[in-house]
Amino acid sequence: MELSQVLEEVNSIFCKVLNKPTIILTESSTADDVDEWDSLNNIRLIAEVEQHFKVKFKLREIMKLKNVGELCTNIQKKTA
Amino acid sequence: MIFNSWEFAFLFILITGIFYLIVPQLRKWLLLTGSIIFIGFNHWGYLALAVSTAIITFSSGIWIDKQNSDKTRQRIFTISLIAHLTILVFFKYFGFLEANLSLFIKTIGGNWNSSITKIFLPLGISFYIFQSISYLIEVYWEEQEAEKNLGDFLLYMLFFMKFLSGPIERPGDFLPQVKEKKAFDYDKVSYGLRLIAIGLFKKLIISNQLATPLNDVFASVQDYSGAQLCVATLFYPIQLYADFSGYTDIAIGGAAILGYRLSPNFNRPFIAQSITDFWRRWHMSLSFWVKDYIYEPLAFRKRNWGTWGIVYALLITFILLGLWHGDSWNFIIYGAIQGGVIIYEMSRSKWCTKWNKYLSGKWFKTYNIIRTYLIFAVSLLFFKIEKFADVIYVINHIFDGIGSTYKEISLGVRDHNIIVISLATSLMFLYEYTDSKWDIWGKFEQKSILIRWSVYYLIIFIIFSCGDFGASDFIYLQF
Repeated sequence: MELSQVLEEVNSIFCKVLNKPTIILTESSTADDVDEWDSLNNIRLIAEVEQHFKVKFKLREIMKLKNVGELCTNIQKKTA
Repeated sequence: MIFNSWEFAFLFILITGIFYLIVPQLRKWLLLTGSIIFIGFNHWGYLALAVSTAIITFSSGIWIDKQNSDKTRQRIFTISLIAHLTILVFFKYFGFLEANLSLFIKTIGGNWNSSITKIFLPLGISFYIFQSISYLIEVYWEEQEAEKNLGDFLLYMLFFMKFLSGPIERPGDFLPQVKEKKAFDYDKVSYGLRLIAIGLFKKLIISNQLATPLNDVFASVQDYSGAQLCVATLFYPIQLYADFSGYTDIAIGGAAILGYRLSPNFNRPFIAQSITDFWRRWHMSLSFWVKDYIYEPLAFRKRNWGTWGIVYALLITFILLGLWHGDSWNFIIYGAIQGGVIIYEMSRSKWCTKWNKYLSGKWFKTYNIIRTYLIFAVSLLFFKIEKFADVIYVINHIFDGIGSTYKEISLGVRDHNIIVISLATSLMFLYEYTDSKWDIWGKFEQKSILIRWSVYYLIIFIIFSCGDFGASDFIYLQF
């Protein structure tokens, strides 16, 4: 799967979970760039991403993620 | 030895003087010696325990880092985590656990009397054990390389400006600073001195002056009218904030003079519009600690439970946060209230967004700020008052005696002191507001030396003329 396609699908998950259709993510987006992306919603987002892409993350993998780009690269590796 | 004592002032001036006179290579050793004197001056037992804990943490870190197998790493990490928690539980919660176990046995018909009343509580234990755990987790998660230099590690654990009540420093923030060469920096020294002055202003003029009347009310609540209980409940958050943020300002300022950056602990908490927002602004080094090391691992494990997983993680996290403060059921309730309100706010977030659209944003914002303050003020009754029955008494009688006289609600504080406290509190909030909007100190630095030193002398004069210098510990020293 291409990175841009992963990013697009992650973007639609964010819009759905955070209930905000206007969110536009880039690879460098972080929690500071999206108002509703807090520690409470972070877990919902991860659960939804896992379900959507049928992948499993370890806590340490999640803690190390610095931005959306790293999340997408991680998904890309797991689905390859 | 506390920050607002002459002994500390003498030690700090002595250390700072020598710090900038000796060669840079010796400076961290001077700070370590100063920290050992500072802790040992309070009690040699505190020093022995803190140094032993630091050595256990240091050795565990190296041991974890050396392992290649994930299973062995996990085993060593678990053993060292249990060792640290055992130290904390033994010194802080053993009496509480034994008393509750004895009560439980009696309830089911058994006979066992609790023999331990209280084990002595080593100063700063809750702070440095949490710092140790943070270090071990970071090493275990491979976010932090294990420190190989025992001297540097001891300074990270024992540094006297943060030893007693934090901020709880992460290894990644503090350890690199120990290795930097510290040169004299006029800007950092003047920034540090200003923060110390602001901290002393908050502690001596606001917190100490409010301490006596509020302590009197909360020590014997039955002797006071409903209106007096109401006034005390409303003012306690301000006293606690002035006390703890004053302590933190002195800690950060003192560290800055010696070339170290400590983490911020407060970000204008009383403008928070929800309890969720409040805990991102209040005692941040602790709230971020529990978020990263308790809430996120718990919520992650239960992520398939959906909202219930978050509810479960929030409740456990905040109950433990409450319990961190002390060994009583009241602290557990205090934590549970915070967690409960955050869960409620989470469930109402869509509703709030909708109302925010209909109502004028400004009015809804003001309502939310007041609501958050009141919830926090009432929850602090469990934090401040020792007996559960007394908290219930305050809650039941808080609206009695509406129409009380000014003399009654002034809680015996003289008019002169009420004016001083009111002006100082307004000044504190005004300063925080302007400081958050504009770089006032940056602009101030550009003024002439005459204006700058006139202001400095004015601040010193105000602190000496209006401050309450009676021996009064910082509230968070008890934790």
